[in-house]
Amino acid sequence: MNSIRRTNSDVSERMGPRSSLFRDAMRRLFRNKLAITGLVIMGTFLLTAIFAPLIAPYDPIKQELIMRRRPPSQEHALGRDDLGRDILSRIIFGARLSLQVGVVSVGFAIVIGAVIGALSGYAGGWVDNIVMRLMDIMLAFPALLLALAIVTILGPGLMNMLYAIGIVSIPAYARIVRASVLSVKEQDYILAARAIGAPPSRILFRNVFPNTLTPLIVQGTLGIGTAILDAAGLSFLGLGAQPPRPEWGAMLGQGRYAVFTAPHIVLFPGMAIMLTVLGFNLLGDGLRDSLDPKLRV
Amino acid sequence: MTRYIIRRLLLLIPVLIGISIVTFAMLRLIPGDPWEVMLGEHATDAAIAELRERMGMDEPLPVQYLRYVESVLRLDLGRSVKTNRPVLQEIGQRLPATVELTLGALLVACVVGIPAGIFAAYRHNSAFDLATMFGSLLGVSMPIFWLGLMLAYIFGFLLKWLPPSARLTIGVEMQTIAEAWGLSTGPTGPSSMRIMTADEFFSGFYVLRAILTGNLTALRDVLSHLVLPSVALGSIPMAVIARMTRSSMLEVLGEDYIRTARAKGQTEKGILLKHALKNAFLPIITVIGLALGTLLGGAILTETIFSWPGLGRLVVDRILSRDYPVVQGCVLIIALIFVVVNLLVDISYAYVDPRIHYE
Repeated sequence: MNSIRRTNSDVSERMGPRSSLFRDAMRRLFRNKLAITGLVIMGTFLLTAIFAPLIAPYDPIKQELIMRRRPPSQEHALGRDDLGRDILSRIIFGARLSLQVGVVSVGFAIVIGAVIGALSGYAGGWVDNIVMRLMDIMLAFPALLLALAIVTILGPGLMNMLYAIGIVSIPAYARIVRASVLSVKEQDYILAARAIGAPPSRILFRNVFPNTLTPLIVQGTLGIGTAILDAAGLSFLGLGAQPPRPEWGAMLGQGRYAVFTAPHIVLFPGMAIMLTVLGFNLLGDGLRDSLDPKLRV
Repeated sequence: MTRYIIRRLLLLIPVLIGISIVTFAMLRLIPGDPWEVMLGEHATDAAIAELRERMGMDEPLPVQYLRYVESVLRLDLGRSVKTNRPVLQEIGQRLPATVELTLGALLVACVVGIPAGIFAAYRHNSAFDLATMFGSLLGVSMPIFWLGLMLAYIFGFLLKWLPPSARLTIGVEMQTIAEAWGLSTGPTGPSSMRIMTADEFFSGFYVLRAILTGNLTALRDVLSHLVLPSVALGSIPMAVIARMTRSSMLEVLGEDYIRTARAKGQTEKGILLKHALKNAFLPIITVIGLALGTLLGGAILTETIFSWPGLGRLVVDRILSRDYPVVQGCVLIIALIFVVVNLLVDISYAYVDPRIHYE
């Protein structure tokens, strides 16, 4: 942990001499209209999540059964759900859960994936071979199926779903970091660091790791979007967040039987998921274009 | 080429072993006593002991694993706790529905995605191009289960153009393939060994069955049921394929040989399809191959929405009812299909792009 924390300060130290490059990237990012749109969507989502109790007009889990399935009205802008709860308030509180799922599962995957990828790439030889075969095995399962299998083992629930999505995403990050490590490992400055007697851990975290940050940031941003989608899918199937938690996917899952009589119950939570994921995708694409023009598709 | 294929097959062995370990471990990692969980609260000790013995749970783990691999190789995936039928039989009955849905989705994705990508690249920066790009961004951001519900509501319920669920309208009759062709239904072994006949399996492919039995009414009905789930499931690959086709075409259209073709008076259609698309096709095949994972995973969600009796719904139903042997079997079969198809895709690249197997 300590060494990881140290990396952060290293990055800012390293940003010093390269600040023009960094500023360049930021300028490119802010000139990209789509990325700005993504940033705005993400910002709105973030603020909604933080200030949910202040913004939400009603209690998200308070039921009023006589008012069930009421369509949007002046008091309840997005209508009420199957149990008479205010959909707008549930969506606002749902932002917290989706943010939590996205950030925590991707963070978990990045930390573990980066350590695995860095060690594997740096050590090379049989360690690399075994680790990469393990990653291949994980990739031999469709992601959602593997997540489903993990949730089956751990049991349904929000936290277990977080782990499942995190574990499933590990290989992607491990591969990215390994590839970057392999590409810088033979550079002269690494040789120089080794020549002056720097220990491998120092070389890895001070010299090698910062070079893997760009692809990690890009993949991580796009990964949060995917994680939110997968989490919504698992909750939709009843394997993620459990009632009465206002999770967007679970709202869709519980409301789907009402779709023909009260379509507003599924329309709005779905739009919330789509907008949020769109925001992360736009920003991720923008970051890729501005941070690393080579990666542009 | 043969050497490349052999090398790829050898690389498959550790992956297959890994898959078997994962599916084996799945049942053993469930906390508590999974047998008690499976049989419910009111299970007698005798029943639990019998199930444990049937599953060979009292042996050491490595022995259990070897037994598991051996029985998988004998095509014995155990029995369902819920229905007591062989797991392979349950899977065999559901697999054709999933294959049909996946192929339908892939077809929709290619038929819409590739032309949209080509045209967007050809009219670069036009309104059509922007609309395609925006559409593909929405496509990858949209939860397919939500899209499915909305499609079912709009086209199935409001407009009543297409059926919103199931594979076949109740009352539409179809002969099995063997009945229609006057064949025997295939060899039948002793009833305990019997999983299913070839006829039962292939008749599960309704489109194939309707065509082979020459039943036009049924064919129309089956296809109409296939449309909405295929569109929902195909939406993500469609978006990815359109995007990749566009960027790949853009790159190729800037090449000198395209200018040469134009200079010698080749028609625009000829340039696009003969000169450009042919060269732009490799990355497109790559994303089509990658789409398969999305499709198999997405099928789990799509099947749930459209009450599609496929593997995905089987997995979810049995997770919820704690019928773990069936879940284990489904995970194994889906992973195997995924691995084999990925292998075929890889080999087909090597066939299309000679640079790959010379490496």
